[in-house]
Amino acid sequence: MQRDTFLIGAGQTPFGEHWNKGIRELMDDAVDKAIEAAPCSALDIDCVIVANMLGESLSNQAHIGAIAAALLPHHPPALRVESACASGAVALHTAIGLLESGRAETVLVVGVEKMTDASTDHVAAALMGAADAERDLSAGLTFPGIFGLVATRYMYEHGLSREDLSLVSSIHHQFAKENPYAQFRSAVSSHDVSKSTLVADPLRLLDCSPISDGAAAVILSTKHKSSMRIAATQLATDSVSLADRPTITSFAATREAMHSALAESDVRREQIDHLELHDCFSIAAVINLEDLGFFEPGKGVDYYRNPEAYEFTVNRSGGLKGCGHPVAATGIKQMIDVCKQLERSGKHYGLTQNFGGACATCAVHIVEHRAAAGASPFSTQ
Amino acid sequence: MSSPSVHRQQQRRSDKLHAGTIVSFTTVAHPPAGFPAGSRMVGLIALETGKQVMGQLIVPNGVTPHIGARVAPRMRLQRTTEQNLRVYDIAYELAAVVAQEQVEESFRGYILAISGPSGVGKTSVSRLLLSLVGDAVVHVPIVTTRKRKQSDQGEYVHATLTAFREELAAGRLAASVHLQDAEEERWYGYRKADIERIWAAGKLPVVITEMHLLQQLSQAYGRRSILSFGLLPPGASRRAMLSQLLHRLRTRGRDTEASIESRLAHAKQDLDFYRKEAGLFDELLVNDDLETVTKTLQGKLQDMKLA
Repeated sequence: MQRDTFLIGAGQTPFGEHWNKGIRELMDDAVDKAIEAAPCSALDIDCVIVANMLGESLSNQAHIGAIAAALLPHHPPALRVESACASGAVALHTAIGLLESGRAETVLVVGVEKMTDASTDHVAAALMGAADAERDLSAGLTFPGIFGLVATRYMYEHGLSREDLSLVSSIHHQFAKENPYAQFRSAVSSHDVSKSTLVADPLRLLDCSPISDGAAAVILSTKHKSSMRIAATQLATDSVSLADRPTITSFAATREAMHSALAESDVRREQIDHLELHDCFSIAAVINLEDLGFFEPGKGVDYYRNPEAYEFTVNRSGGLKGCGHPVAATGIKQMIDVCKQLERSGKHYGLTQNFGGACATCAVHIVEHRAAAGASPFSTQ
Repeated sequence: MSSPSVHRQQQRRSDKLHAGTIVSFTTVAHPPAGFPAGSRMVGLIALETGKQVMGQLIVPNGVTPHIGARVAPRMRLQRTTEQNLRVYDIAYELAAVVAQEQVEESFRGYILAISGPSGVGKTSVSRLLLSLVGDAVVHVPIVTTRKRKQSDQGEYVHATLTAFREELAAGRLAASVHLQDAEEERWYGYRKADIERIWAAGKLPVVITEMHLLQQLSQAYGRRSILSFGLLPPGASRRAMLSQLLHRLRTRGRDTEASIESRLAHAKQDLDFYRKEAGLFDELLVNDDLETVTKTLQGKLQDMKLA
């Protein structure tokens, strides 16, 4: 990192169905909370970066950067980034680039997605935009179908059973019960997961993260300090279609981003206390734990057999499955959750992994918590 | 998807037109709009060319796909666009038959197979053919456990039952069959070594054979290796054909009445077999005139530059 960048304010809407709120209102709620919590005023914001994937396809709304800037009294410069489900973390990465270069000193990053207005078919078709339209879609695949292929192959290579895979969603639901912002705050047993409707063999309904509305915002600054410092921001990419990869049971972009992030932050893997990783489908959580280096290949599911046995925590917020997955808001929400967890535990290092498509884009962020360095980025109310 | 993208895909079709193996597969419960409603099986296929592609998997009823299974490309209607354009693309078919064809060794050469019910004139046709194109074709000897007969004309290699079973167990036979007979254990078969020796000499092996042996040869060397001709007795109906056969068997005077009866029973099965397994034959020839039939066969071989 060229300069010390701090996360000085954070806020989010609850994730779920907000029938009375559109893209603008959702952003407004999250941005309000973030500014309120920050040690600066709205006028200190030099630039706004919006993450959004589906504005055009589901709400007929492009040009969301200017809409977000209009929420602030001084209409600062604004831009929008899109990298499918990784849009949120890519927006953070973009903001940190601007801060490091010195072009901006305080940047508002907001991720927003409005998904529940459209029919499920329409949403499924829009999400397929994250895959390769000419190579994957033409075969009749949906996104659950793509991860169905991943899961079939993973089970074949590593002998993962349906019962073991069902543990993942049931643990995420259990964690989400304690998160007031989560979409699903009800317990789901692994038996329920195994018995839910088949979506893309072997994946079932409760293996899949839901369709959600929501927004999350953070304010990053090199001028103002807080207890949360961004220690690493790394981005890696891979071919979009699974057909172009040598293996589909491990994601190279995660391994690459993780490797670079550890190097950039000078943190060892064992020092990480809290993780939020991208569990768009249960099988993804298992693979991510392996690619991030916390488990050997084929052993990722061990975490879900007994989460309390490990010194680090994974997806304590409930993950994408429990919290809901308004796609472009997720990467920013993960950052907020990791900061909350660090503040609560008093520990020092948190990590987020947010990916787009079948991990064709992956961003890994590491955040360092030092209570002595500054104030909390959360509203004291 | 826009029409131009459909056209771009069609340009890449030839890349997908290869056999391959399944890397992974899934059944999508709700395929995207435009695709037929109902669940759809999709596979990630590693093609023989080294490329990987996504494609619809076509699986016959009662067959379960598995990773590593062989698939063959098939053109299939995939979906209909909003403009009612019917879009075809390569799908991949998993079928027991296809799988079997694919695992065979590469093409080694042709085998001329003449089959037909007893008494239809197989031996006469082949003898005449040999006299016409004698240099190019060689009979594959039949290994058998049956007793020597006066009427044998050198087409059989006699073996003891133990010796035959040994060859069978060692996998040295390309095809073998056990025929019911009241008097003795009757086995017939073709040795791989005999067929391969004829190929090595640059000649065309000829077998005069029945349905079981024909099926096994087709499995051992691949259906396309077999130039398969079925001979039918003249006659407008099955009944007429059978009485023609009975007449021929009686007039050639080689068989006892009991043997004729058993041959006729086999002939009935053979006639049914032609109807059921038409795919095993390249051509069915009615043997109403020996010379015409033989000339037809000779013509086919010359067309293929085999004689």
